[in-house]
This record gives sequence, C-alpha cells and structure tokens, in this order.
Amino acid sequence: MSYELDELVVAALARELPDDTRAFNGAVSFVPVCAFMLARATHAPNLTWVAGSIAVDPQPSEIPESTLASTIWDGATMLQSSVADFWAYAQSGRLNSFCFRGAQMDAYGNVNNTVIGSYDAPKIRLPGGGGMADLGCLVPRIYLWSTTHDPRTFVERLDFRSGLGWGDGGDHRERLGLAGGPVVCVTNLAVLDFHPESKRMRIKSVHPGVSVDDVQAATGFELVVEGDVPETAPPTAEEVDLIRRLDPTGARKREFA
Amino acid sequence: MRVREDKRVALGDAAALVPEGSTLAVGGLSLNCSPAAFCRELVRAGTRDLELLAVVNGMATDWLIGGGCVRRLIMGLTSFEGFGLAPNFRRAAQTGAVEVEEWSEHTLICALQAATAGVPYMPTRAGLGTDMPALHPHRTWEMLDERTGIRFLACAALKPDIAVVHVHEADRLGNARMNPKLVWFDTELVKAARTVIVTAERIVDTDSFRAAPERTAFPSYAVDYVVEAPRGAWPTACWPEYDYDGDFYRAYQAAARDPEGFAAFFAEHVGPLATGATA
Repeated sequence: MSYELDELVVAALARELPDDTRAFNGAVSFVPVCAFMLARATHAPNLTWVAGSIAVDPQPSEIPESTLASTIWDGATMLQSSVADFWAYAQSGRLNSFCFRGAQMDAYGNVNNTVIGSYDAPKIRLPGGGGMADLGCLVPRIYLWSTTHDPRTFVERLDFRSGLGWGDGGDHRERLGLAGGPVVCVTNLAVLDFHPESKRMRIKSVHPGVSVDDVQAATGFELVVEGDVPETAPPTAEEVDLIRRLDPTGARKREFA
Repeated sequence: MRVREDKRVALGDAAALVPEGSTLAVGGLSLNCSPAAFCRELVRAGTRDLELLAVVNGMATDWLIGGGCVRRLIMGLTSFEGFGLAPNFRRAAQTGAVEVEEWSEHTLICALQAATAGVPYMPTRAGLGTDMPALHPHRTWEMLDERTGIRFLACAALKPDIAVVHVHEADRLGNARMNPKLVWFDTELVKAARTVIVTAERIVDTDSFRAAPERTAFPSYAVDYVVEAPRGAWPTACWPEYDYDGDFYRAYQAAARDPEGFAAFFAEHVGPLATGATA
C-alpha cells in the first residue's frame, strides 16, 4: 500500500510509545496527537492520552486547527478543569510522556521555541516555550519530533534553550535531580535516539530512500553512528488506513507544509 | 432594608476599571475563552502602559499589543496555533516596541500561587537547566534545599493588579460559572489578583446559582465586577456554546500581511491600530 511521508512519521512515532504511556499534548502537536491515537488503536490499547492536557481519553472524530481546541475533547471521560488536576499528575509521574518540537534542536535534545537571534533583539520572535521549560524537567519520557530536518533546525548551539532535553549531556539531568529524558526524535528523514553515556543524538534508523550521509548532511552537529543503520519500517496498510480514518481531514499534514 | 451590592458594570464603561500602568492578567487558553470583548474595549479606550500577563494566549494579546496598550508582556506562549504566529506580538517583540518577559506555564502558576499564599516564592522543579530563569533573575532563581539536597527553582510572588476572565453565566453579586466548569489558568488568576473582573455571556438570577451550587466556579466574594458580554470570547471559543471563529483568524492573518490594509481591518473589528504597530 502506498503511503505519504506524514504517515510514515506518525507511524514511526507511534511505534515508540509503549503500552504504559500516559501522555498529554500541547499546542500545534498534530503529529503526536495522531501517533497517540494510532498507538492506542494498535499495539498500545492501554495508552492514555489527555488532549490539550484537559480531556482524558477522548475519541474525536477529527483533529481541529488547534490541538488545544475544545472539539478535540469529544468523547472524553473527564475534563480536567483546573491546573491543579493536570500539573499535579504531571509532576507526580502519573502522567509520564510528552512530545516536543522546536524551531531549533541540539544534539542533546534541548529545544528552542523562543527566539531566533538574540533574546532582546530577535531576528524572529517565536511563540515562546509555553510549558516546555516545565515539562522537559518534570516528565520522564520526552519524545521529540520534527518535520523540517535541516541544518537550520538541528543546530550545534541553540539561540535559546526553552526546553530541557539531556541538558549539557552525560549526567546533567541527574545532577539537576531530574528523572528520565528524551527517548527518541522522529523526523522526516530518520528516527534518532540518544547514546546511553554521552546522551548525544544517534541514528536509530533512516527512512526509505534516505542514507546515513543524507541525515548527517541535514544535521548541524555530528550524529553518533554505530554499526549498520537499519531502514525505518514503512507503515503497514493497517496503520495507513487507521491514520486516514483517525485524522480524516489530514490535520497532520499542516506540519508538512 | 439595605440591599446587597450590585457588581455589574456596562461593557462600554469597563475600560475605566483598568488604570494605565496596571498589571492586567487575562484568562483563556490559546483559542479558548479569552475575555476578548473586554480587551477590545481597552483598545478603543486607548489604555496605555499595561503590564499584560497572558499565560497561553493569542488573539487578545495581539489586540492589546496592536492597540498600543502594552508596555511589557509576561507570558508562556503567544500564538494562533494552526493559524500561525500572532502578527502584532511578533512585530512588537522584534522591534522592541513591547518588552517580552518569557516565563513558562508552570512557573507562572507558581508565581501566582505564591502571591495567593502570601509567601515570597513557590518552589518547583520546572524550568531547571533552561535559559528561561536567567531572563528575570530577580523573579526566578535556582536554589538548593540543604536538608534534602533537592534543587529547585524559586518563583517570586507575582500579584496581578487586575484579572479579567470570561465565563458563561454570572449574577449581579459576582457568582460565576462555566458550563461545564472548565477554568484552567483562570482560577489561579482569580485567586491571586487584587481586583477581579468577570465578563459573562449572560447575567442570571442568583436563584439559578442556588439551584446548582456545585457548578459555581468563582464565589461572589472573589469577584469585584461583573460585565455582561454576549459572545464576549469571540473570536476565541466559549465551549460548548460556540467554537473559535476560524474564518476570522484566517482573515486577520491575511489582512496583517498588508500593513496599510491591516489598520482598516483592525479598526473595523477591534479599534485603532497604534502608530508604529505595523512598522
């Protein structure tokens, strides 16, 4: 069955999510929302997704222009009405998974969604970190994604660290007293994970038609490459069919402009 | 016999409740339930020099900045999400017309909770290891608890002069409710602020609150002014009564691409666009 790149990325992210995932999403998170719904419909029936950090276990018939919008709450078992609900569970570990993307990401999975250029006189003022600065610290399983794998996005040095990944690498998170860290980064070219010691990004698999050299050339820092890098398995016919039914208007494609 | 205080203020008179130079906190979450009609009144009244606190907001922030009302913006995120970046916000931040003090959602909640509790700061593990605390070192700083060895970020108390939030129903005494009770950051704003203004889709009888007291979101004693504002969240959503107005977001973004045309568009839908806002 033929598939589109957005479906490959959604399926690749979904497969990384284990059955005990208790995830929530923030703004402009079309790919993660699709991945949560796909994982829940396939290998991870116990995956619990809290839409917009508000609506517990929803069953929306489509994904609106905002992943914080109320229409994504349809079918929820609870609307968490105050910050006391959501933030308490995000801090206690009951909720354990969150997805980030940034205008810039570095080798340790730290992200920038604040400014390009200097903070005081930015070349581009971005929306801001929102909950990134919080959730990168508080949530033990961070999944990164990007639909623009290029040297402008994947940079040696962030202009601003809005969200914490593995920090300066090594045991930096541990020294800060923070659990877990980024698990993988799924992009339009590859799936990347993190070297267990250095915590630098490592190529886990390359998408069909993409070489290791292509991925390195599209990355502004040196990636860890170990042994023969496998190819990312393309989405199955079942996965493609499910994605198209779960996101019938193709909201996920907004991220692949 | 004396009667109880009537807290209602007409929408047209509401801008006078916000003195220039105030720290004003506005409620809502992204495309949901901002007190937009109230913010439009501030633009039309030409209110200046506000320190605006908007945790996760978009259109109301963009209106107030476009109207020249804002000196400093304290925020976690300002965006139109799927509809793109907020144009007045972006321009004003890039030209330096508005000082942007970026925090994050949870650190702002902590700062509001510290203000509510009357303690100097609230500790959290959020924000550690990022560049955010150093943007305002007098308000967020790292500390080490020597007894436990736990590192944390101290978030200094931040007390808004005024909070304004939008709800479905309120009575003249200030009781307010959402249908359903979906208040998100708004509760923290209401609890922390010195003065609280509620804008409401409808004014209802106090008996209607007595009939379903479990649904009241904010009690009368926490609310200082009540403003009737039908469709007062537009173009953001007031779920489940109306959704966000996607057509308006798209038209606003299209108009913002043409600096000359945008002033006319802004005047028609919001109020006078401040000089230099489209520089």
